[in-house]
Amino acid sequence: MAKYPVSAISASSLGGIESPDVFRRLVDTVSDYAIFLLDPIGNIASWNPGAKRLKGYNADEIIGKNFTVFYTAADLANDKPGHELRVAAQVGRFEDEGWRVRKDGSRFWANVIITRLLDDDGRLIGFGKITRDLSERRISELRYRLLIEGVTDYAIFSMDPAGHVTSWNSGAQRIKGYTPDEILGKSFSVFYLDEDRKAGLPQKVLRAAEENGHFEGEGWRQRKDGSKFWANVVVTALRDEEGTLSGFSKVTRDMTDRKALLDELKNHSAELELRVRERDQSNAELEAFAYSVSHDLRAPLRAISGFADALREECAQQLDERGRDYLDEITNASRRMSTLVQDLLEYGRVGRISAPLASVSLANAINDATQQLGDLPSGSLTVDVPAALSVRAHPQMLAQVILNLLVNALKFHKSDESPKVLVTAEERNGFIRLNVQDNGIGIAPEHQERIWNVFERLHDRESYTGTGIGLAIVKRAASQMNGSCGVISQPGAGSIFWIELPRAEHN
Amino acid sequence: MTVTPILLVEDDPTDFRLIQRAFGKLNNGFRMFRLTNGDEVVSYLSGDGPYENRAAHPIPAVVLLDLKIPRRSGFEVLEWLRGQPSGLNRLPVIVLTSSRHSTDINRAYDLGANSYLVKPDSGTQLDELVEQFRTYWLGLNEFPTLAAEFAR
Repeated sequence: MAKYPVSAISASSLGGIESPDVFRRLVDTVSDYAIFLLDPIGNIASWNPGAKRLKGYNADEIIGKNFTVFYTAADLANDKPGHELRVAAQVGRFEDEGWRVRKDGSRFWANVIITRLLDDDGRLIGFGKITRDLSERRISELRYRLLIEGVTDYAIFSMDPAGHVTSWNSGAQRIKGYTPDEILGKSFSVFYLDEDRKAGLPQKVLRAAEENGHFEGEGWRQRKDGSKFWANVVVTALRDEEGTLSGFSKVTRDMTDRKALLDELKNHSAELELRVRERDQSNAELEAFAYSVSHDLRAPLRAISGFADALREECAQQLDERGRDYLDEITNASRRMSTLVQDLLEYGRVGRISAPLASVSLANAINDATQQLGDLPSGSLTVDVPAALSVRAHPQMLAQVILNLLVNALKFHKSDESPKVLVTAEERNGFIRLNVQDNGIGIAPEHQERIWNVFERLHDRESYTGTGIGLAIVKRAASQMNGSCGVISQPGAGSIFWIELPRAEHN
Repeated sequence: MTVTPILLVEDDPTDFRLIQRAFGKLNNGFRMFRLTNGDEVVSYLSGDGPYENRAAHPIPAVVLLDLKIPRRSGFEVLEWLRGQPSGLNRLPVIVLTSSRHSTDINRAYDLGANSYLVKPDSGTQLDELVEQFRTYWLGLNEFPTLAAEFAR
């Protein structure tokens, strides 16, 4: 402890500020630094309050002892104290940071400066030693380093301004395969593919980071074993307070899995595009087929029908009753075939239409359909659909669907009862269901699936005419317009055919 | 009564016979010329080779054109015709074909067809079509001037 209380210090009692005593007083007052003297072999010759605070010894218990007591066992084994004195004796000064030991055995992180003291003749008279406790800074640095080193998902490392690796975390080791010993001091360009390195990419990256403060990119990099990985890289320029470039930090993430996923996604979308093109092509083929059907199949039909008519007109006299009857059969058959071709074409067309869906007023669509029906006996058709209901649909397709349902509902009536058809609509969870209810013959449950197939007929032609395509068109159109359809029926109790389409805002 | 020349472009012999028969039911007043492929139509209208004699092969007042015909299609004929100078481009063309395909219909109009008719399936319907064609195109319709050299 200081011999003189601080309050007692005065310039007069010391003989002026230049007095050597003032320096002694200064040292004796400083408590933030341990400042003490060593003799040439390292025995402690003085002790200040800072030294007591840092190391825990009182002056009387430490003076005369060798300074080796401050060192850890590991440092003592390497004769670190002796080495420090030798260096200081030789070059005048030794500075170090490292763990030192307090009196109670606890350790602290010390910044140590040992200064050689010479007499006027240049002989070594001892050493001055200044020690600072940097434990707090050291601990926060350590924490930070441990944090970075502990990160295994990211390669985090630093480089000097030329790109030589100066630190290396466990993530870097995991991702790139190098141990710190193998990579420290080496250029980071070894992470790049040969062709990228030849193209000067590593230098470009550093230059970009230096210019913009920051560089981010993705690309293939290689591991120590030569295997490739897809890396996301962020390089940041590190500058000191004056703005001088002190190096770079680099954070690298292995994105190979994500890249693979992205590539897969790209492949899938390419495949999808290909399929769409193929479908477009097959649609075009179908279109060509439909065209050919409409043109080529109808030509002989026109001939059959046309010449049957000509025969009837010009040669009716030469034909007897039976001959004219046969002629009627020919005409009827050709008419049937004409309808069949037309329906088939319609069925094909419904599957191909890709026109965008629009908001269609249900009432308007029903109106379009009933107009195509022509004149009906009064009371046979009742429409009870609110004008405000609209669905997402293709206008012509919807009218066609409704027409088909109405035609069926009117057609399949009981032989002793005239048809009565009721059209209603209801809202169901964002959809609108259109019901076409008849008082007809009904459909047995076992047939209710089949009726939706193409060419499916439940009755002979003499009882009920038709091509067996109408409901197939309904089903196809419903699914084309993101809707559905179905039937509720009992034999003898009539049927309710329904179609459900997404509701649209009325516009 | 003037005799109006009509050019019928139809490759199908039965269709031709039926159309011819339907036209035959009408009173006279027109003369029908028939061609069976697109190249012939171009030659005929250009007055090339065998069609040089305009007295025997007059420029028609109206063309009934099938689309699916050999060599040059009906579309190509239309395109060629509408690109002709000296008023020939004004020649009324009525498409008479079996396709109801909207792409065909639209393309025909895009290329300058004046009307588009679909061949009916039955003889009686054809009679009706021909009758109405006569009433409209040979009766009501006013013909454009084609060119001095083509003047009838």
